[in-house]
Amino acid sequence: MSERVLDLPITPEVARSLQLGDMVYLRGEAVVTAGFPTHQRLAACIDNGEPPPVEFAGKAFLHLGVMSEERDGALQALYVNPTTSTRFNAFMPKIISQLGLTVAAGKGGLDEASVATMRAEGCVYLSMLGGGAPLLTDGIAEVVEAGWPDLIAQFRLTRLRLDMFGPLKVAIDAHGNSRYAELTESARAKLPEIMEMLARRRNEQA
Amino acid sequence: MAVTYELMKDTARRLYERSLKGIPENSKLALADALQTETSEAAQKTLRFMLASAARAEERDTYVCSDAGFPVYFVKIGTRVQFSGDLKKAIVDSFDELVATIQPPILKFVTNPLTGERSYRGKDMPHVTWDLISDADYVDITCSPKALGSGRWAALEVFSYPTLEEIERYILEVSIKAGSQHCPPVVIGVGIGGSFDHAAKLAKLQTLRPFGTKNPEPILAGMEARLTEAINATGFGPMGTGGDTTALGVHIDYASGHGFTPVAVCFNCWINRRTRARIYNSGEVEVVE
Repeated sequence: MSERVLDLPITPEVARSLQLGDMVYLRGEAVVTAGFPTHQRLAACIDNGEPPPVEFAGKAFLHLGVMSEERDGALQALYVNPTTSTRFNAFMPKIISQLGLTVAAGKGGLDEASVATMRAEGCVYLSMLGGGAPLLTDGIAEVVEAGWPDLIAQFRLTRLRLDMFGPLKVAIDAHGNSRYAELTESARAKLPEIMEMLARRRNEQA
Repeated sequence: MAVTYELMKDTARRLYERSLKGIPENSKLALADALQTETSEAAQKTLRFMLASAARAEERDTYVCSDAGFPVYFVKIGTRVQFSGDLKKAIVDSFDELVATIQPPILKFVTNPLTGERSYRGKDMPHVTWDLISDADYVDITCSPKALGSGRWAALEVFSYPTLEEIERYILEVSIKAGSQHCPPVVIGVGIGGSFDHAAKLAKLQTLRPFGTKNPEPILAGMEARLTEAINATGFGPMGTGGDTTALGVHIDYASGHGFTPVAVCFNCWINRRTRARIYNSGEVEVVE
């Protein structure tokens, strides 16, 4: 385990150098949203060969909601917070491969198909702290622009400039390893042993 | 003297705001205790970030989690309470007032399940559960804004004359299915028996029970202790990235019912937000949590 600052965009080679459990902070540009309709639109853009409304210059896509306010003609982030990534499973392989992403992030992880795509493309998934709004908001340097303004605030496709955004933990690496899959598999494998322990405790109580 | 519309509205609004901008003191203690027992260094770090996030939200008067959820209240009315004004309307109006005045503004989370449309208002909002307290001269209000990041992993099954082993296996399986998804370390609420709706309500109410309180039913006290140990042995850990601290507590209640027994399991994330106050006939407002 190490602690690193990643300057976005990172190359697939840098993504491949990261290991499960590494703690990282991000600097540079990322595109974020917490919206399901946003993922549908993004997938449709890709299918139709249309460019998304904002540029993915940092090759980083975060499942993060942003509440921003216009002050002196510029958008300012009041707070941000991660959302559960698994509900976007169906869209992520296409988004990662077609937009050439090297960083995805959110909470709760992504499924097997995304893990395989990330392995093929050289992309990592970073776990953000749910309920970490005050820590994560400190890492937002600028709201560059918000695409699809017809959507509600947290659903817009928002381009952010980050500075020491984190803490984030590598939870799916670019080699096909997912901490989430490992933990689920290991918990299932331990189930008979855990049930035996429960039986012992029940007998002790009886 | 009486419990007035204004007092009720103001209290309901303040409870909501406070529940978003901090975590219960009891949860801080539980997280601090978990730091002592957690053996994974990375998981300890995550627990420290959680405590730091909660502290910073309080210092800056801002949100721990940006998901303000939708308004959920549990109101118990003392049978000696005198009312002045429409108590039910006071709670509805309190959320409108919160939306109009809270800083920073909250996002839209109230969702119409038929159209997907999001707003600050909707059918059956706020969710309020009403109950009575014999011979009390106060109204007891708990506010527990609910977001379904953790709530979506709740489950209920109706068993046919289950053994304790079957019940415990089910709770464990529901917990493993939730896995890393529900912002652990969580509180797990379980309701056993009664009917479909009653078991679910019992489970929900158990998520509001403070950590460290002893279950008065010895069978359940034993079950709570061993299930906490069992769920922490699964290894999902804080934020589901590995560790010994997946549940801060398993809280269980039961109700008599039929032989066919519903078992309801639900979760609240590590923030475990809830605030509680009592409004007395005298006009005094006592902050309980």
